[in-house]
Amino acid sequence: MSQSIGSQCNELKKEYDECFNKWYSEKFLKGDIRPECEELFKKYKDCVMNAVKQKQIDKLLVEARKDDPFTSSNSENKGKS
Amino acid sequence: MVKFFQHTFKYEYNWESVTLAFWLRYPNPFASHVESVDVIDRYVDPNTGVLRTTRLILKRGVLPKWGKGLIKNPEAYIIEESMVNPKNKTMITLTKNVTHARVMQVEEWQTYQVDLNNREFTQVKTEARIISNFGWGLTDHVELFGIKKFADNTVKSRKGMSHVLEMIREKRGRGFLTV
Repeated sequence: MSQSIGSQCNELKKEYDECFNKWYSEKFLKGDIRPECEELFKKYKDCVMNAVKQKQIDKLLVEARKDDPFTSSNSENKGKS
Repeated sequence: MVKFFQHTFKYEYNWESVTLAFWLRYPNPFASHVESVDVIDRYVDPNTGVLRTTRLILKRGVLPKWGKGLIKNPEAYIIEESMVNPKNKTMITLTKNVTHARVMQVEEWQTYQVDLNNREFTQVKTEARIISNFGWGLTDHVELFGIKKFADNTVKSRKGMSHVLEMIREKRGRGFLTV
């Protein structure tokens, strides 16, 4: 399993990733789209966001994500093909 | 100044396995430059049933000689946005660098769909746009480097995906996975 940006988040990441991978292959892909692993994700994400702030890339992230790439006309074209 | 790159590729695995491999593709022996991968946002759109994910990837870059003077810190943060629609079996991903974007911005779109000739295979269309506004006569250099690097990386990432797909196949054989 891959590492987290914050070494202190590795354990939380592992727990979350395991939960997600199971949900994705056993539920989501089979049509059950009800989310699971939400609690684990919240803990893990809080940890990652702290690490992101410490590394001072939080502003860069906000800037990079200010437009939703999939609602622009750009992505509509990409989705067709 | 912009350069474009496009190609399609076929994985001999079903769409479900390929999209799972997309999540599991790091670490793999062909991506030793990838330091970390984190999910920073993820939800299922209740109206469409589409899974939306944003991941932050940290790569330790390998720079050409002329680049070493330009970029002090050779690490690059990459944002990966994706949407998975399980109904029409389409996964669309967008990857772009958030650091060093002044030197070079690389945007890569990938569309994963069931192969129309063989429902057990998956077709991936890759489209990339490489933009550099650097000036000082370096722009062409930067963009050509970008294209070459991009083509090399595409081969590597395909090998990485294939490696992970092989692992998924083995696990499935042993009953660990049901995709």
